[in-house]
Amino acid sequence: MTAVENPTPQQESNTYRPSPAQRFAPFVTAAVVPFILGATTGDMNFWWKALITVVVLAVVARLAWKWTPRGELTHREDMRLWRTPSDRSWAAATTFGLLVLPFILASDFTPPMDFPWATWFAVVNLVLIFAMGAAAFNLLVGYSGQISLAHVAFLALGSIVGGIVGVQWSGGNMWLALPAAAVAGAVVGAISGLPALRLKHLYLLLATFGFHFVMMLVWREYLQEYFGFVGIRFKGENSPRIASWLHWLPGIDPDQNGEFVITGQFRWYWVLMPITVLSILFMVNVVRTREGRAFAAVRDRDVSASLLGINVARSKLFAFALSSAIVSMSGVLASFYIGSRGEDSFNVQTVLNYAIIIVVGGFSSIQGAIFGSAFFWFLPEWFKWAREELWFVRDIDFLSDYPSEIDLAIKGFLVVIILMFKPDGLAGLWRDFKNWLGRSLARNKP
Amino acid sequence: MNSGGLDLRIEDLTVVYGGVTALDSVNITVPSGGFVTVLGANGAGKTTLVRSITSLLYLHKGRVRRGSIELGGKSILGRKSPQIVEDGVAQVPEGRKLFPNLTVKENLLCGAASRKDISGIDESLEQNLELFPQLRPLLNQTAGLLSGGEQQMVAVGRALMSQPALLICDELSLGLAPKIVHRLFELLTEINETRGTSILVIEQNASLALQHAADAYVLELGKVLIEGTADDLRGNPMVQELYLGGGGEAHTSYAAIERPGSRPDAHGQKPPVSES
Amino acid sequence: MLLAFGNFTADPSVNLQLLIGGLALGAIYAVVALGFVLVYKSTDVLNLAHGEFLMLGAYFALTFLISENLNFFLGVFVLLLVMLVFGLLVHYGIMRRMVGQGFFAIVLITLGIATIIRALLLIFYGPTERARLDLLPQGSFEIGGATVRHVDIIIFAVVAACVLLFFLFFKYTRLGLHMRAVADDIEAAAAMGIDPDKVYAMTWAAAMVMAGVGGLLFGHVTGAIDRSIEAIGLRAFPAAVVGGLTSLGGSIVGGLVVGVIEQFANGHLGTKWREPVAFSVMFVVLLVRPTGLWGRKDLERV
Repeated sequence: MTAVENPTPQQESNTYRPSPAQRFAPFVTAAVVPFILGATTGDMNFWWKALITVVVLAVVARLAWKWTPRGELTHREDMRLWRTPSDRSWAAATTFGLLVLPFILASDFTPPMDFPWATWFAVVNLVLIFAMGAAAFNLLVGYSGQISLAHVAFLALGSIVGGIVGVQWSGGNMWLALPAAAVAGAVVGAISGLPALRLKHLYLLLATFGFHFVMMLVWREYLQEYFGFVGIRFKGENSPRIASWLHWLPGIDPDQNGEFVITGQFRWYWVLMPITVLSILFMVNVVRTREGRAFAAVRDRDVSASLLGINVARSKLFAFALSSAIVSMSGVLASFYIGSRGEDSFNVQTVLNYAIIIVVGGFSSIQGAIFGSAFFWFLPEWFKWAREELWFVRDIDFLSDYPSEIDLAIKGFLVVIILMFKPDGLAGLWRDFKNWLGRSLARNKP
Repeated sequence: MNSGGLDLRIEDLTVVYGGVTALDSVNITVPSGGFVTVLGANGAGKTTLVRSITSLLYLHKGRVRRGSIELGGKSILGRKSPQIVEDGVAQVPEGRKLFPNLTVKENLLCGAASRKDISGIDESLEQNLELFPQLRPLLNQTAGLLSGGEQQMVAVGRALMSQPALLICDELSLGLAPKIVHRLFELLTEINETRGTSILVIEQNASLALQHAADAYVLELGKVLIEGTADDLRGNPMVQELYLGGGGEAHTSYAAIERPGSRPDAHGQKPPVSES
Repeated sequence: MLLAFGNFTADPSVNLQLLIGGLALGAIYAVVALGFVLVYKSTDVLNLAHGEFLMLGAYFALTFLISENLNFFLGVFVLLLVMLVFGLLVHYGIMRRMVGQGFFAIVLITLGIATIIRALLLIFYGPTERARLDLLPQGSFEIGGATVRHVDIIIFAVVAACVLLFFLFFKYTRLGLHMRAVADDIEAAAAMGIDPDKVYAMTWAAAMVMAGVGGLLFGHVTGAIDRSIEAIGLRAFPAAVVGGLTSLGGSIVGGLVVGVIEQFANGHLGTKWREPVAFSVMFVVLLVRPTGLWGRKDLERV
């Protein structure tokens, strides 16, 4: 390239390359500081903690912004997950935020107006589980265009595998159930994807919906055969625990009986967060590979894709298998986290809930599932709080008489409004916000 | 019902799809009772022109950014497509676009959708069958099963059912045998002369279109490149080179031809990546 | 997993009763399937909210015919009129903006509409269940040891009449022709001066009216009127698909076939097999003949 052979000062400043140490420094900072804060600031005032958090967030983001390669990128740099300064800043800040969040939520802070701090930790954990499942669902229907309504069937499959492997065989070994569910999900998912080789759109949707009902039958039969109507109990003696040979790990100190049971929101967070983040990163990465680009090609026009040498059948089945494997894993996590699964744990409303999540979050954006599921779980909580505490809402009897119905109506209206006016959902809004922020920051630069 | 045509006046028309400009300050005039052809290669903006006149851009997420379209001195921009058909614009869409599951007769009747005088419809149907006698035995056939030439006849007949003051034909010659295209153009000339209907023909097949039309425009990357009478254009070396196959002084390549004010974004910008 | 396959019976009167029950159920499925077909045929939208539309119809029937105690024919007229207005509302308020959007986005928006209707009905009618309607003749008679209810025969007659009416409408009226044209090719139809907007509005109105009829009929045979009756929308899917989603007559045939199969599965295998068997039948039909028994085959252009 001519610019490299004959660099002018202008171009030199444009092609900036950070050293490897600089590249990773913001992320290392973001990962380490929360634990230092968590260990050292035990009885500090909440507001001090919040202030420190904000400052560190800003510093980490600023460093990531500063130490991003700029100018003409090599192919390798271009293919990086976090490519632009703003991507890297947000990634570093998110890393920090995710790690510092449990410490903040676990503190005994009481916000003004009785904001329900304690219950929000549970909501955060639910958001993590749902985000994982919804992201996988979105990978299939949004990104790969293989319309399926069978995802709740795979949540049920996750519960079945969790019941067989995690409860009946090993008495609470979730760690064994997770990979087993992934394998079972992939196999059954590929089978459930077989109709996709022949059917499209509406007909595929109906076929997968048929699969949903078949799976529901299997679930009910399984329950009645081994557990009866009470359902499977995943808590108590069946709670997952950390094996004794791992007790040396920092932050793990066993109970009196020498066990470390995963119970309580704080411990669960440290199980759920890494699994969710890793699986979402994994999916985002799959989408960037050759295989992932094939998904999009098949979605847009499968005949043309096959002319390009893409093995359409393989690509479709792979999308089904991958998505189903991850949904099944989230099914295992949900079973163990919620603690029990019964006959009516899965129904058509659950299918709708996931649809609501991916629409609100942003159709065809894998990350959008996080926004969607956060919104889905926080909206009722916030609304509940508003009904009890906000003076201008509290006095409206109508709202307190029909809380869950109004939640449902709001969700319905949101789905309709978002699809009508902002089809990329919250993820689209977030992207707009980032672009706006990037532009206004750039404008202030000399 | 109405005999004679209306004039179409397009001024400064600019159309965008998302961020992509498809038509850029286009001025085209079809005089009352005139026969005008618009030539252009693929992607020149011909179909966009038709969609703007017939107000179908919304189905393709396009919109008119500026300009005016007047039919008989009355602005038709912003009117809905059914109203525009009522105003007297009928079209033969690109690729014929028959209703494949309807019979030929039903297809023809659909062309009369905008007509208020129910009694006149049968008369128009009869007129059409006189124009295309081949269609008479096919009336109850499903349109999707006809041959290309027959389909095109149905498409022209369907457009004529609304007794238009302006008939727009988009790519009449697409995928048809030269003989049939020739015949269709003769029919258009006949309609133009006997009924006085204004005709706007959008074509890639320049030689045939220039034979029949009075005025012609060449559209290139969304702009009017050349305009004049059909005879002028036939003599124009650039038109000969690009559309009539050789003759004139040889331009070595398509790109070597200097285009007045060609679009900067045709080369400078990356094409937008399609997302969904 | 032991499945009870044991109680097959050769007793003809039991099987006859199952057959008659299946036909009655099938008639209801046909009503619902006809609603799906109407919308799918002309707007290419799979309306997942049709069960909710039907629930709306049943509750309105409750209001106008029981609470307000209107004369039967006046009440039905008001019911259908209100449903028609709701249909126009669905189109002009929501679906109109969705023309040209992706298939799944439109499916999801109908799910959104379904959610709204369900929530609003719960708010305005409360969760308590109401007694089913009893305006149509309640008697029954016997054939060969099996009971046939009058209501079922009325339902079947009404569905057949509706299908015939719609068939004539599509075949012989101008608006019907225009609706078929829009279904074939919306852009060409618009270019011919047919207003797709108007046609779609009519379609939604017709579907809503059909749901009103369905709600009124279903309200007579359901156990009780409560929030669970929307499930009929989902359960009628196999019927709509087996008949072919683009065929009016197919909805009757599909409804009867699926109704009978479901009733036999119910009687011989047990209640839990009802839905899986119906959906399996649908699944097989989809694989063998995706457009259903009578559906139109669309060619795909590449």
